[in-house]
Amino acid sequence: MEVKAKIKRILKLLAISAKMDLVWLLRDTKYALTGIASDMISNLSTVSAVYLIALRFNGIGGLNTDEILFMMSYSTITTGLFIMFGSGNNIHISRIIGRGQLEHLFMQPLSLKMQLFTNGFCPFTGGGNFLVGCIMLIISVRRLSLSITLGWLLSLIIYILATMTIIVARSYLVSTAAFYAPVAAEEISMTAIDGTWLLSTFPLSGMPAFLQVSLLTILPEGLMAWFPSLCLLGKTPLHFSKYYPLAFALILSLITSYIFRKGMNYYVKKGSNRYVPYGFRR
Amino acid sequence: MSKYMKTARMSYLEKTNGGIIYLLPDIMIKIFTLIPLIYLWRVVMSSGAQVGMSMSQMLTYTYISALLSDMMVVKTAASGWLSEGVLMKLYGRPISVLGQLIAQTMGAWFPMLLLFSLPMVFVAPLIGVNLMPASPWFLPSLLLCISLGFAIDILFACLSIKLRNMSWLISRIRAAIVSLLSGTIIPISLLPYGIGVIMKYQPFACLGGSPLSIYVGSADPENVILLQLIWNMILWPVALLVFKKSQEGIVSYGG
Repeated sequence: MEVKAKIKRILKLLAISAKMDLVWLLRDTKYALTGIASDMISNLSTVSAVYLIALRFNGIGGLNTDEILFMMSYSTITTGLFIMFGSGNNIHISRIIGRGQLEHLFMQPLSLKMQLFTNGFCPFTGGGNFLVGCIMLIISVRRLSLSITLGWLLSLIIYILATMTIIVARSYLVSTAAFYAPVAAEEISMTAIDGTWLLSTFPLSGMPAFLQVSLLTILPEGLMAWFPSLCLLGKTPLHFSKYYPLAFALILSLITSYIFRKGMNYYVKKGSNRYVPYGFRR
Repeated sequence: MSKYMKTARMSYLEKTNGGIIYLLPDIMIKIFTLIPLIYLWRVVMSSGAQVGMSMSQMLTYTYISALLSDMMVVKTAASGWLSEGVLMKLYGRPISVLGQLIAQTMGAWFPMLLLFSLPMVFVAPLIGVNLMPASPWFLPSLLLCISLGFAIDILFACLSIKLRNMSWLISRIRAAIVSLLSGTIIPISLLPYGIGVIMKYQPFACLGGSPLSIYVGSADPENVILLQLIWNMILWPVALLVFKKSQEGIVSYGG
């Protein structure tokens, strides 16, 4: 019963965020449309760079152009979801911590988790890339003549959720530094997410094994699109288990949870040196 | 001139104020992007497709592009400073606003040049990348590329002034367009369907892609430099005129 009430509350909060997003779109249409355009252009330029190379060379490392398109569609969908759920810096959490804005969340009569999960939802102005990604996915699936079953669709959703979990967990993990060094680490989540964006679109097929393994473990960019795409195409690479992204997401989340809590404990005792009585960001 | 040198030095020191350790994430990301990119091109070029560039040229192109990335496509802090209220402060100092902007931008390049580019020069032979330039005309071309980069950046800053609070969005659109059209990620000549033939005459192609193609010897220096000169001669007067007119429209808030 409690779980049901919680889910209902989350949906209500998401609806409030969505409503505010719609109001913004209607009231400041020019700005909102520019925002949608900028998100789409930004993502398309990144994925098209790889796709153009594939077109010019008839594929990359054993993957044909349609398989590359499939991979790019996966990448675009995750980028779309990231933008759709992360417009309030709730995924770029080091900004909230570093700027002393976490105090603002403490004052609300809601748990921190619930606020962070729901307050960045912007389906109207942030859904552009998700839609483009879905269209790209349909085109690539048709070109590859993949047989779509319920099981395959569930796998797609689970892989996307695992990728999103890895993105969020990694961002929160590195953002813990902002509890201790708010000024220097304010933008560290930006480095962790946006700085590796281009790398996450690289098809790693054909690269040396040491590089592939490094990009699936130390810096998990291979899990952002390449590995899950190949799993969905039935070509799981490197003799890894197809459950590897899920295991990685789980382990990373547990580590992040432990370290982030330590940072929070430090923060609630010391406070933020950037918070001033008339606002924030000293 | 010494005022500008001091400004550049301040900018350099500002980057390292928190300690070099805080630059490490950026350096690591650069290294972790560059090395896979080199191997990606190795995989792509080993397909044997004839694209007018050898694998060795392509690897050098990619490597130098990464080492000199700040210079390939110049980005000043003008757009960001507009929304953060910093740009207004520049008017309170007894030196040219554009001069300060240029000095601060160039000063900020040094930490990465010293901590990333220089060490990576020594790593290059270990991963089979030859860094010998094919022509000495690379240097004048690089200077023209930097000069044009500042002119284009000033024009984008003016667009931010005009559109008020859209600086972040403009910055994203600009980064996306420039990264593709400047040839710093994919050489323009490698674009499919003959797009490269048309694209090589647009101003963004005179940014990073031009000195890089001279560096690896895949383009004729005379033509490339001539085109760079023409775009500099067109865009600098336009940038100065538009900036002069835009100054009155600067609205600043935040901080």
